[in-house]
Amino acid sequence: MIDIYTEKKDSKDWILQNDLYFNLNTSNEEMSQNEINLIQQVDEAKLTQAKRIETKYGLGTIRNLSSGCKTLLNIVKHPDKVVCVEECGPNVLKIIFTMDNIKIYMSRPTLVDIPGDAKIRFNDSDIMTGSKGYNAWWSKEYERREADDL
Amino acid sequence: MKGEKQMIYKNITFKADPFSYDLVLEDRITLVGGDSGTGKTVLYEMLEDLRLTDEYKAIKLFNYKSDNLLEAIKQCRDSFIVIDNADILINDEVRRFINFEFSNQYMLFSRNCDGLNVSDKSFKVLKLDSNRITLEEEL
Repeated sequence: MIDIYTEKKDSKDWILQNDLYFNLNTSNEEMSQNEINLIQQVDEAKLTQAKRIETKYGLGTIRNLSSGCKTLLNIVKHPDKVVCVEECGPNVLKIIFTMDNIKIYMSRPTLVDIPGDAKIRFNDSDIMTGSKGYNAWWSKEYERREADDL
Repeated sequence: MKGEKQMIYKNITFKADPFSYDLVLEDRITLVGGDSGTGKTVLYEMLEDLRLTDEYKAIKLFNYKSDNLLEAIKQCRDSFIVIDNADILINDEVRRFINFEFSNQYMLFSRNCDGLNVSDKSFKVLKLDSNRITLEEEL
């Protein structure tokens, strides 16, 4: 199940500034082979033992990963947190929607490929399935926002 | 210049070996989106140096490390304003400023055009081809 929250909340259990959280916390944690593979997949970056990266743009440290890649690693490393995905490109969102037991925050819909069997729960309430369910929920939500003049 | 649309830069061109940047801007608001990992933040870091040159001194940069974004941005006139992390940083008040302060030009690293007066020329993605980096129309 992927939990999506659509109203922003200030809480220690939420990660809204992914770059900041990653640079101060996640980047200091050990990276598994799966996480190293995700870094390669998203940023085409090779991570070394010393937490340096080699990308097509040159050499850097793990803190030079893209915001989308940092967001993905924050989700993988901290599945208990609600993570803001508003800075993620379609390539990262596509990976996120293949995951399970994660919590994300997005305030608006985005064009993304969602597997047909993905279970999505909105705001701890409505459970939808796949792209069709995702789009249907957002259509209803926009009708609600329009009615409420939001 | 108030009330009149202004382009501060129609092109931003520089070399950062082994890359050369040739960025063509076609609207006073440019949204740079596309996939993650395409070099937006790398470009932002390049602009941090470029803005120290005479030619590009109109560049003003903001990201998640900037203090009091709204107040700082409201001081800008006749500037080329670049905002990284714009999806999480800009609120309705910043959007209003962007829409109505015509003396500035804006480049926002963002995929969200809600509330912004953009045109079809506003949507761009970075493209790297043979060490040449350009802004291409987002399809």
